[in-house]
Amino acid sequence: MARKTQNHTNPSRRSVLLGVLAASGALARPVLAQTATLQVVTSFPEELTTRYEQEFEKAHPGAHVQFVWKQSRDALEQLLRADQGGADVYWAPSLGNFPILRDRGALRALEVDRAVLPGKLGAQQLSDPSGFFEAYDIAGYGVAINPALLAERGLKTPRAWRDLAAPAYAGQIAMPIASKVGFSPALYDIVLQSEGWEEGWRLLSEIAGNAELLAQGAGPAGAVKEGRAPLGLTIDFLALQARANGLPVDFVYPQRAAFLPGHVAILAKTQHYDLAKAFVDFTLSRPGQRLMMETDSSRHPARPDAYEGKPASTIDPFALPASASFAYDAEIGRRRPGLVVALFEAALNEPHAKTVALWRAIHAAEAKRPLGGEAAAALKEARRLAGLVPVPAREAADPAFLERFANRDAIDPALTQKWRAELDAARTQARELLAGVGAAP
Amino acid sequence: MRRALALVCLLVLTGAAPYENAALDGEAFSRPIQGLNPAQSKSFRAGSGLFRQAWVIGPSLDHPDVVGLGPLYNRLSCIACHVKNGRGAAPDDAGGVARAMVLRLSKPGADAGRIAGRDPSRIAFGAPLPHPVYGAQLNPEGVPGVPGEGRAVLRYELFETKLADGTIVAMRRPRVAVEDLAYGPLEPETLTSLRNAPPVFGLGLLETVPEAEIVALAAQNGGRANYVFDIESAATKLGRFGLKANQPGLKQQIANAFAEDIGISSSLFPGENCTPAETACLDAAKGAPQVELTPAQLAEVLDYIRALAPPARRDLGDARVKRGEALFEASGCAACHRETLTLGPFAPLPALEGAQIHPYTDLLLHDMGDDLADGRGDFLAGPRDWRTAPLWGLGLAGKFGDAANFLHDGRARSIAEAILWHGGEAQAAADAFRKLGAPEREALLTFLDSL
Repeated sequence: MARKTQNHTNPSRRSVLLGVLAASGALARPVLAQTATLQVVTSFPEELTTRYEQEFEKAHPGAHVQFVWKQSRDALEQLLRADQGGADVYWAPSLGNFPILRDRGALRALEVDRAVLPGKLGAQQLSDPSGFFEAYDIAGYGVAINPALLAERGLKTPRAWRDLAAPAYAGQIAMPIASKVGFSPALYDIVLQSEGWEEGWRLLSEIAGNAELLAQGAGPAGAVKEGRAPLGLTIDFLALQARANGLPVDFVYPQRAAFLPGHVAILAKTQHYDLAKAFVDFTLSRPGQRLMMETDSSRHPARPDAYEGKPASTIDPFALPASASFAYDAEIGRRRPGLVVALFEAALNEPHAKTVALWRAIHAAEAKRPLGGEAAAALKEARRLAGLVPVPAREAADPAFLERFANRDAIDPALTQKWRAELDAARTQARELLAGVGAAP
Repeated sequence: MRRALALVCLLVLTGAAPYENAALDGEAFSRPIQGLNPAQSKSFRAGSGLFRQAWVIGPSLDHPDVVGLGPLYNRLSCIACHVKNGRGAAPDDAGGVARAMVLRLSKPGADAGRIAGRDPSRIAFGAPLPHPVYGAQLNPEGVPGVPGEGRAVLRYELFETKLADGTIVAMRRPRVAVEDLAYGPLEPETLTSLRNAPPVFGLGLLETVPEAEIVALAAQNGGRANYVFDIESAATKLGRFGLKANQPGLKQQIANAFAEDIGISSSLFPGENCTPAETACLDAAKGAPQVELTPAQLAEVLDYIRALAPPARRDLGDARVKRGEALFEASGCAACHRETLTLGPFAPLPALEGAQIHPYTDLLLHDMGDDLADGRGDFLAGPRDWRTAPLWGLGLAGKFGDAANFLHDGRARSIAEAILWHGGEAQAAADAFRKLGAPEREALLTFLDSL
């Protein structure tokens, strides 16, 4: 049924007549067709989505874009319902959800021009090879830095993940809590894939020993831009937005950094296919892709020609040498967040104060050189124990094992309790070893 | 004592008062006043997060702490309209959907109104009577299954006006059409008032200005204080906030905006914002908690807004700025846009009590003439009245990502255009501006740009 249009003007003395005239003009107009509402489920921020809403509605006057804001678990719950909650488009950074939705028949196939949308970054697959979801943007993970604060504290700019473990950075790093900050499981999995599972967890433990753990996504970049910490582990656009707004922040892509895609897809039960397709086409068009490069978004398009004429300070991931990043394995990565969150909680967040004390003691003992053979061996073992991960690499790559962590609220408590006991025993042993060389925490 | 000394040192070192932010960047409207203690800073950051948070439809696995969006609402977050804590954006000259704006709705002829859809024992005497079907404002969005009420679409009448020296200034007059009305037509007698989102910095300071000082100004410049209903005390209090000074304090202003704009209930505005006619809204609200914004969350947002610093003035020594400031006073602008007010007790920083601030407002209502009138009373505010808008930060509008759209409905695209819309009690000041020669006019605008 068509809805009505009414005009309203301020009924001041002079404008009453104008208002009446305007209203009668409106009544004389042909009845407008009902505006079609396109429901887009997204977890992109409103600064970004509003720009797409404005520009898309300008080009499609009969359309109204309504954003339903949901992060991964809530979005998946809605989009796996029989009617998908009336949603037409799913547009989000969620490595895990899109393949699940594809495999459950919840997405429609897209038509994409591979001449302009490669769907790959070097050897890394960005888009769905079977064509059900397409990369919208790519986000780099690394370290927000406050150059002035680093200089003031006599600290060098880190260049690799392992640099962050250096004793000089003790108390200088802000780091997100994996269970609280949506992007952080991917951030930590990049470190784990880059450095290897066991070595990656040892490194994360040592970095956490240098860090303050924060529960808000904006926390690490916020701490850096406000000068409370010189270094923050974060996602690139949070730091680049701050830099674009004139704040004293920069971003370091560590050696073996990775860029992970956000995606867009049309939902199987859409009642507005043409409009949904038009919206998806717009997000992937050159003008649509350039919207995300505006100051308050500062994101990286998945479309190489969107970088033409970019500011010099903006990197083009498609133009980086292959050695600058590594091909993140999204097939493993998308299954791991549950495990990474559970391990981060048990190994790093819950015992954080003890982790800090333990690594400080290790660093202090290592600083006392020269070390004797026995002391060196003890410290090496203490280091291994302090960074121990209670899950072996083969299990962390086993889809069946990872499936046990897919529902974060249904993880076997006996298993995590076993981890805690192993971690506790290992750290107790590490402390004993340190005490044996006169370096008890 | 040490904190007070530190604040004095800050003033000496930066030239900015401790309640001002001197940094010119994209956070110009987003920094706290200097000198907050760690607990206050933590609460400020938490409040900042909530101000930016997109609220979600419950229940939620990911965000159980920010559920309760709607069922009817305007936008998902505070920051969506108060862009970067500054002004919202009105549609451009081509017109379009009013996104960062609200369209207030009411029935005429009433001097008492119940707070729509909420505790019926709470009667806000003097408040506009909400529309019986659509409530106190048009909510264009509804959660899935609940039709949005309709969309306010602006079209502009573009015209030009000539100043005394022949300079042409482009003007635009907004015309509001409500499209896609989902719950039946609005009666012709429905009163509407289009409001653009105003800046939110410096409000904590304005909250502490002693009432006696504000009332005393009324005797000097003909302004009128609004006296409005304070929900918490169930008493009448001086209105300070809102474009018609219809809110007595920041807590109520913030809670009201959460309720009306995002559909988030609180202790001050419990229950959902559905009218009896909005059955889908009522159905969707079944089982929703009476209070969605917890008292702790409301306190954090309050701490955030109270501590947001206004930008420091710039170019104070510039000759043109000084000349413009003199013209501002000589033209009569300063009678209502009062440069200086005095702080009363200021909880976040007690050392600031007695300090002078420079918001360029008297917090009073003035008749602004027919062209700006919305034809709608609000407590003691008449249909042509608006509260004098603070001018601090004016020169930074539009420079760091917020919009440079001025006046209550964002119609003015430049400060000159805004001045030329002034009528009523401000007509003489607008006429004086119209008569200025180009150098004087530029000096006056340069002064305003320094605020």
